[in-house]
Amino acid sequence: MKWHERLTGIDRRIIYGLLTIFIIVPFFIPLKLRENIMPQTKKLFDFMESIPPHEKAVIISFDYTPSTYPECHPMAVGLLRQCFKRKIPVVGMSFDPQGPGMAVDAIDYVVAEINRAAASPGDSVRYGIDYVYLGYKAGFEAAILEMGENIASVFPRDHLGTPVESLPLMARTKNYKDIAIALIITAAAYPDWWVLYAQSRYGVKVGAGLTAVMAAEFYPYLQTGQFTGMLSGMKGAAEYEELMLRHNYTRELGKAERGMNSQSMIHILIIAFIIIGNIGYFLSRKKK
Amino acid sequence: MKRTLPLAICLVIGVSMVIQFFIPHPVSLRYNSTILTWVIILTAFALILAIGNVFVHHGNRIIKQQPGWFYSAVTIVSMVIVAIIGLFWGIGGQSLFQKIYLNILSPLAATMFALLAYYMASAAYRAFKARSIESFMLLAAAFIVMIGFMPFGQYIHPRLPEFAEWIMQVPNMASKRGIQIGIAFGAIATALKIILGIERSWLGGKD
Amino acid sequence: MYLVCLSLITIAPVTDVQAADKPNDAGSNIDITWILSPDDAFIEYYSVLRRSSQDTVEQYIGRTKYGICTFEDNTAQDNTVYTYVVATVSGSEIARSKPSNPCRSYPQVFHSGRINVLICILIFSALVLYFVRRARHDKNLFIRKIAGLAAVEDAIGRATEMGKPILYVPGLWDIDSTATIASMNILGEIAKKIARYDTPLIVTNRWSVTYTISKEIVKEAFISQGHPDKFKNDYIRYLTEDQFGFAAAVNGIMIREKPAANFFIGYFWAESLILAETGAMTGAIQIAGTDAVNQLPFFVTACDYTLLGEELYAASAYLSREPLLLGALKAQDFGKVLALAMLVAITILAFFGLHLSSVMTVR
Repeated sequence: MKWHERLTGIDRRIIYGLLTIFIIVPFFIPLKLRENIMPQTKKLFDFMESIPPHEKAVIISFDYTPSTYPECHPMAVGLLRQCFKRKIPVVGMSFDPQGPGMAVDAIDYVVAEINRAAASPGDSVRYGIDYVYLGYKAGFEAAILEMGENIASVFPRDHLGTPVESLPLMARTKNYKDIAIALIITAAAYPDWWVLYAQSRYGVKVGAGLTAVMAAEFYPYLQTGQFTGMLSGMKGAAEYEELMLRHNYTRELGKAERGMNSQSMIHILIIAFIIIGNIGYFLSRKKK
Repeated sequence: MKRTLPLAICLVIGVSMVIQFFIPHPVSLRYNSTILTWVIILTAFALILAIGNVFVHHGNRIIKQQPGWFYSAVTIVSMVIVAIIGLFWGIGGQSLFQKIYLNILSPLAATMFALLAYYMASAAYRAFKARSIESFMLLAAAFIVMIGFMPFGQYIHPRLPEFAEWIMQVPNMASKRGIQIGIAFGAIATALKIILGIERSWLGGKD
Repeated sequence: MYLVCLSLITIAPVTDVQAADKPNDAGSNIDITWILSPDDAFIEYYSVLRRSSQDTVEQYIGRTKYGICTFEDNTAQDNTVYTYVVATVSGSEIARSKPSNPCRSYPQVFHSGRINVLICILIFSALVLYFVRRARHDKNLFIRKIAGLAAVEDAIGRATEMGKPILYVPGLWDIDSTATIASMNILGEIAKKIARYDTPLIVTNRWSVTYTISKEIVKEAFISQGHPDKFKNDYIRYLTEDQFGFAAAVNGIMIREKPAANFFIGYFWAESLILAETGAMTGAIQIAGTDAVNQLPFFVTACDYTLLGEELYAASAYLSREPLLLGALKAQDFGKVLALAMLVAITILAFFGLHLSSVMTVR
């Protein structure tokens, strides 16, 4: 086999081996590259900063699965951290059956972190007062529409079976009129339904945290203003962590920022392989 | 009757929900609310149907000792055990159910998703050849967006991230909007065919 | 002198308080508007007071910040007549406006803001019915060639020659998705061709309902071709509802049974590249079709033919040539032409200062 033909026929195992090395090495030799903040990320962050504390709640819909954990989970943690530190009440829910596992993990992690560092009871985060997690509900289209009238009719009990009326936060959060923004963290098309039903009928603001593949589909919503900001993939999560760092919500780099090092290296590797493949292709064509 | 009744229900509910969209009166809203509540209940029943189906399907494989019946047994046993653990020991943050979810299901799902990185690399290497002007433009746009969105893209040229964002916001969005408008018309036509009974494949088989 | 001047300063009230029933709602809402006080820059807020014919005193119902000249009363009782007063408040000074016109709230029966949607629905429905009717008489309605569908026959022929099965994945969404319904139609047509050639078929399903329906469709296809004996229950498989569990199971089928042709028709998510790339590794000819716009690049890269977006909906009409389906397809195309014409017209008019984009807005 001629050398230019070898360029187009590199064994998959070599590609996968190099990929593995390029993913692992940056975890041990971190690249200290700061994220360039995209306008849609800044827009969402600024809006969250503008929400007055102790007033309207924020809905966070945890609709991602373990497979998209690296992209979506840092977004959830970042948003929860910002809400809890600013004393913005959070109403959590899920419309994906695997969402509750992720939601409980994110909420417990952030609540434990804040309560550990709390100097007084007023600084700590309390269930039922500062946040509520309503659990999973099947039939998301109907549920999103119905919540415009009454959230308690869709979720009569929370994730642990407690009647929702007994929770102080839910006593004053009846429907979308009491919600500042609905944030949907997902790898699926749930934000479509939130814009279609919740926003167009009830006027609630919508923001999204999406995987990179899904984010490309939702740029039209950004341009029309239907989205009040969007986090796109692990890069979006890393940007939000960068903003959190700059505004002193946290003192260290998050998981997404560290993950972006590996992602950057893999991008370089893929570009290199594409160039090698094309060189081999053109040389082979020329020889023929 | 077996086919006429579902078609009649589909027609009546479909047309009434379209009409409901134009009537803001409280009676109309109450009707809408009731139908939505039914949808939530029916979706929950579909879950029960799915669980029953898993038992029937895998149970048959075990009874008939078909090839791979052992994996069917693993499926049923693990489903029952996790359901019992969740029902009797809770599903809270520190529960065994949550630990199983985070330490077994999560890594398995993440592993499958991680395969995408490898498949993307091999697919890109195999298929991304600049065979024509169009594929060259595709490659160029892909390179600009990939490099522009990387942290060090801004160090290559300070306006590269901006250009990458422009590609996402203008040509990418224009083409997606075009495709989405076409899909929307297709979906409306298909929905209309289903409501009017022209499209009957969802009933299974033919008349 | 300065103190005398200060004591003479009083804030001016708002003027022209108007109350009107909020249009296009379910009742209980009244919109109140007014002209701002000339001293708006110095006031704290505006207080809104309401009184019905039965009340002896006014009732406070809310307030707005300075600079805002509207308020929505959403606690009104339908068919009760109210009047409103807006009080300008600055410290201890309060200046009351004159009462508004009497007004009552009531629910509307028709949402006039959505009349554009109603017109579009009526036009599109009329187009569908017209072309369906026309297709019954004119069987030669033209559809352009779709490469992916033209290759279906070749793919089935290849599998038959090689003696290997054909794999059909009808997407990962349930039967309530229009893409899955379109996929079921295509499955029926492909099953009819397969029945003639006696080629093994594997249909993998994620949901129990699609499993039941695809089984009936394939069985019916075999019966219609006169080969009911060739249908085997094993052709149709229910795997798992978990997304990546399903992808892993289909991958396993592709690697073990090595189908010669793979069809990925329906709605897919992230598993699309996993399925397509594994199929490419086994050397199968692959035809994909999805309306999941963000998965199209992966299918285009890894498959031999891809049906883009609405070509999926056109596929069942293309393969079956059924008049009803052809007619609906024609109506779709005409609908798009009309939408395009409207977009171009509105854009051109905007250049001349006539802004009609609100015509396309859904309220």
